Amino acid sequence: MTADRPNAGEVVLGEFAVSSEPGNERTALALVEGALNGRLNGEQLDRLKTAVAEATMNAIEHGNRNQPELEVVVRVLSSATGVTVTITDLGGEHAPSGPIVAPDLDEKLAGLQSPRGWGLFLIRHMVDAMDVSVDGVEHTVRLVMHVDAPAAAQREGARGDG
Amino acid sequence: MTTPSAPIVSMDVRHVGGGAAVVDIRGDVTATCEEPLMAAYEQASTGGTQRLVLNFTGLEYMNSSGIGMIVTLLVRANRQRQKLAAYGLTDHYRQIFELTRLDEAIGIFDTESAALAPASAS
Repeated sequence: MTADRPNAGEVVLGEFAVSSEPGNERTALALVEGALNGRLNGEQLDRLKTAVAEATMNAIEHGNRNQPELEVVVRVLSSATGVTVTITDLGGEHAPSGPIVAPDLDEKLAGLQSPRGWGLFLIRHMVDAMDVSVDGVEHTVRLVMHVDAPAAAQREGARGDG
Repeated sequence: MTTPSAPIVSMDVRHVGGGAAVVDIRGDVTATCEEPLMAAYEQASTGGTQRLVLNFTGLEYMNSSGIGMIVTLLVRANRQRQKLAAYGLTDHYRQIFELTRLDEAIGIFDTESAALAPASAS
């Protein structure tokens, strides 16, 4: 697997793979935290870890369909402006590539939506930017956290469109 | 659909009087915790419990599947006209409860005593 190539100005802080078994997102987020080595403050780190965990869960479940012999590759990159984490599986086009239904608590409480379905919502609201690319069977989610980003403004904006 | 592995969580129930019960959650709240969470709910609901308080002081990790479990618990509590409250959430998980609007349906407090106060549970 080629994973995702770093952009100009990005330095690879770490690259590792986890097998596609439920629960291995915990391993991924611990490795990401170790690779960052204090690059982010506590609040930003918590947010990025949640996004990494959710994206890795999607890669394991929806991308590699829980096949342990398939790996999810996680790469941690640093630049002058922030930190990027890429998560690559071999599932080709799959969620979160396609359209999604925004989770709505009222509809969930009324039984009109599944109680689940919060993953992509969390990813999008935890990081400063996110994009998805597909190259053949390789499906990569790119999560960006800006260093010194106005975190409070981000949260307020997130709450407003939730 | 992910096949949940063994849960890494414990949920101990305390009946504290006044029609209230506290569930002490320790460990991970994920897809694997459905069975212990619902068992804790059943145990907490015995004796006509009207206020159910979730103690997240020992929470180590919660993911989107765990949030789904909390929503399921909330649905069941609503059906039984029980009030749900929580305390012990870190700032990060408080933020997630706000993003998901769970904080509008579950009273969030700093301490157990505040969560148990008669007018506290939402």
